[in-house]
Amino acid sequence: MGVAFDYAPDRPEQIDQILNGLERYNPETTGVFQDYVMQQCESQTYDCYANLALLKLYQFNPHLTRDETITNILVKSLTVFPSPDFSLCLSLLPPHLLSPSLNPSTRPSGDLAESVQKLSVLNNLLSSADYSSFWSTLDSDDLYADLVADVSGFEELMRVRIAVTVSQTIREVQKEILSSWLNLSGNEFEHFVGTVCGWKVDGSKVAIPLNKENEAKGTVVRENVKFDQFSRIVRRAYEQPA
Amino acid sequence: MSLRQQEAPLRAPADDSDVEEEALANDYREQVQYEDGMDDIDHSSSFGQSGGADLQAQLAAAATPLEFQATLETKILSYDNYCSLFHYILNSEGPVDIEVPSYYWAWDVIDEFIYQFNSFCAYRQKVALKADNEDEIAILRENPNTWGCYSVLNVLYSLIQKSQITEQLDAMKRGEEASNYAGEYGNRPLYKMLGYFSIIGLLRVHCLLGDFSLAIKTLDNIELNKKAMFARVMAAHFTTYYYVGFSYMMMRRYSDAIRMFSHILVYVSRTKNFQKNAQYDSISKKNDQMYALIAICVAFQPTRLDDTIHTALREKFGEQFTRLQRGGPEALPIFEEYFRTACPRFISPTPPDFDNAEINIDPVEHHLAIFMEEVKVNMWSPTVKSYLKLYTTMDLKKLAGFLDVEPEKLRHWLLVNKQRSRQVRWSEGGLLDGDIINSSDLDYAMEGDLIHVSEAKVGRRLVDWYLRNLSRTY
Repeated sequence: MGVAFDYAPDRPEQIDQILNGLERYNPETTGVFQDYVMQQCESQTYDCYANLALLKLYQFNPHLTRDETITNILVKSLTVFPSPDFSLCLSLLPPHLLSPSLNPSTRPSGDLAESVQKLSVLNNLLSSADYSSFWSTLDSDDLYADLVADVSGFEELMRVRIAVTVSQTIREVQKEILSSWLNLSGNEFEHFVGTVCGWKVDGSKVAIPLNKENEAKGTVVRENVKFDQFSRIVRRAYEQPA
Repeated sequence: MSLRQQEAPLRAPADDSDVEEEALANDYREQVQYEDGMDDIDHSSSFGQSGGADLQAQLAAAATPLEFQATLETKILSYDNYCSLFHYILNSEGPVDIEVPSYYWAWDVIDEFIYQFNSFCAYRQKVALKADNEDEIAILRENPNTWGCYSVLNVLYSLIQKSQITEQLDAMKRGEEASNYAGEYGNRPLYKMLGYFSIIGLLRVHCLLGDFSLAIKTLDNIELNKKAMFARVMAAHFTTYYYVGFSYMMMRRYSDAIRMFSHILVYVSRTKNFQKNAQYDSISKKNDQMYALIAICVAFQPTRLDDTIHTALREKFGEQFTRLQRGGPEALPIFEEYFRTACPRFISPTPPDFDNAEINIDPVEHHLAIFMEEVKVNMWSPTVKSYLKLYTTMDLKKLAGFLDVEPEKLRHWLLVNKQRSRQVRWSEGGLLDGDIINSSDLDYAMEGDLIHVSEAKVGRRLVDWYLRNLSRTY
């Protein structure tokens, strides 16, 4: 269950070596990391720790920055919400990208700033669990389609992610609500909910099987007694016989 | 801004004797003369040739804070001084044999080195944003590599590698003799200490640059406990916990952050009577910052705190602390204020854009903005929880009526609160490891519009009682 933040199951040996050595600061490795981001986009894998290393290289060497790699990294980090990855990526970007008050004409990278701010809007909707607004915002602007184009299976990944978070809180939900959360209807909805998630559609309701999270069982926390706690008592028993 | 000003009186040398001042001044004068096209290597020769007294003055200078009013020129010269000092220590033939002024000298040098890097970057940013001081802008434009992040990191990593401190710490963890792995350099206290504190320096630099996961990762080899080497120098002990705690907070691992802050705050409150006054003064500001941070973390994740900390929080923040915990829009300005006063002085690693003054936004604002988004997402969780605690089952529409919100809005809040109470918490291994746990004592699930609520109760604690009474009978 416990997975370290810097662990990624599909990380190639070469990347691992770079990350653990000083090569992670070498501007020449930017290319390697960029290819790795592309590979993550295509193969639906994800490696936040490596992507942060690339953003750090950009932070140190702004002239190497590639806008579409940055947006790809941000889009990838959306697919693992509600983890803090998106925010951690933002922290490494230049401060002026996030500031909405700047005059667009003086901003050196206006396009990137617009993209980053648009993606932040999506991130906020996802964090606030407002999934139907997420989908309608995503459809509202062609720029979004461009931004997510490189990430293969983006919509499917998002649906699975939404389904996971929903299953943690909900045992039964109205079909129309779930349908708007997943942005699916008709046969596609039945297929996704029934086959992909394994949930039961029952008339106007969808039942989600019980799991550890949505059980909400009351528990009593018992104290964890360790033998060490008794060591003094035991020692005393030996020291003062009778 | 206010941070700098508050810090000023603390950092200004309290009562430097004239002799010391003169030595410093001489030192700088000497360096100015070298400026005529000489590079670092020529600087370093001065160490080898000059007499012991001179070297001692340089060593002392490296660990002494600059005056608050120091000019830009002085700051740049100080950088050159560090370069030549570290060059001498790292690139001489074989380990250098110098007598350091005090046992905590190594910490002071690394601490001051990073402090000056930090304030230089912040200052540079401010000059660029204001864009009203042509002379300073010209100087800064001419010296783009002064206090560069690559050279600062280079120094820290070189000290770590030269001293083979990572290998030594690994050996200690396995229970072996560290000196077998220390090599020619690492066996000398000077290198060992510099290497060790460079690791903590790295933690700090990464955090200042906004790379929170790497900051925590840096400490992989250091075990956080009172027996660790850093615990011998109070300021180092303190700094370590502050930056680890802050990084955890930014990674939304509030229970780990609270664990860090409580540990050090309790430690300080128990030992403050034994601390030498000067040392204690310098940490009392950081102490207050950590109380603000722990208040933020507890607002995110209600936790039973150590009694001393809880009392201190109430004394320091009073009504504000209650409002922070209550959440809602009224709490937002308090979160913002606490974050501003308690965050590290974040920096941008690269020289600012002097041609576009207004894009040089203070990095603190950047991190604050990111942090506040998270605060806003969570803002209704305390309200939701306070109501749910009263029921075992509740109708969503009815509760929405109580709260005066749209039922669908409430459904979102319930999803958010449940997601946010699942948190990664450290149990063993590296500091970035951890298990996902339910951090709240309240749990619930929705069945249609019906909310089922359950609570985790804490069973009776018998062991303590038993042990106490047993020891009384002896």
